[in-house]
Amino acid sequence: MSIAEAPALADAATLALNELAEGHSASVDFTITHDDMRAFAVISGDRNPLHTDDTFARSKGFEGAVVYGALLVAKASQLIGMKLPGRDAVWASVSMEFRKPLYVNQAAQVEGTVAGVSVSTGMIELKLSVRAAGKLLAKGQAEVLLAQP
Amino acid sequence: MDNQAIYDRLTEIFHDVFDDDSIVVTPELTASDIDEWDSLTHIRLVVSIERSFHLKFSAAEVGRLKNVGEFVELIRMKAAA
Repeated sequence: MSIAEAPALADAATLALNELAEGHSASVDFTITHDDMRAFAVISGDRNPLHTDDTFARSKGFEGAVVYGALLVAKASQLIGMKLPGRDAVWASVSMEFRKPLYVNQAAQVEGTVAGVSVSTGMIELKLSVRAAGKLLAKGQAEVLLAQP
Repeated sequence: MDNQAIYDRLTEIFHDVFDDDSIVVTPELTASDIDEWDSLTHIRLVVSIERSFHLKFSAAEVGRLKNVGEFVELIRMKAAA
C-alpha cells in the first residue's frame, strides 16, 4: 500500500488503556513508491540525490535510491494513529535508529509492541521495528499519550 | 530511600522536564509556582518519576496530591511497600 492509499479516519482503531497490556503488538505492511518519494521531496524540501537518483545512490554503494528515513517514521505514525492505540493517540516522543536502507518498491513492515503503560497518566511506551524480508532495517521507540475524556 | 535522596532525584527530574536548572524543589512547591507546569508537562513529570523510581501510581493517587511534599511521601511509601 502506498502512502497515497492510506486508510481513512473511519478505519482507525480505538484501543482503551485497559486493552493495552505490555506485549500487545500490531503492524502495518507497506511499500514506498516513487510517487511517495516525490511527494515527500516536495513536502520536506529534501532533494538529496541519495533519495531521488538511482544512479547517484548506486555510485555511493547503495542498490538504488534510499527511502527517506522520515517515511519509515511516517509509517510508524500510521501504525500509532490507526492501530496501536488508534484514534485517541497523541505522539509525545519518537526516536528511531536506522540500521539498513529500505529501497523504493521494497515490501516492508513496521511493528509496534507495548513496552510499558502508565495508568496514572495514560502514557504508553512502544517499541518500534521496521523489517523487510525478515531483516531489521530500523528500530526505535515512541511515547504515546492516550487522550482521555 | 530517605527524603533527601528522593528530593535530590526529583530535582534532577524537574530540571530536565522543565529545562530549568534554577528550580529549587521544596515540599511546598506546586504547579502554580512554575509557569511551564501545564497538563502535558505534568504528565511528563509523572512518567519521568515513575521511570526513575521504578514505581507505578494510580490516577487517583496522583490526582489527590497537593504539592511536591505529598508526592515525596507517596514515593517513599510506594518504595517501601
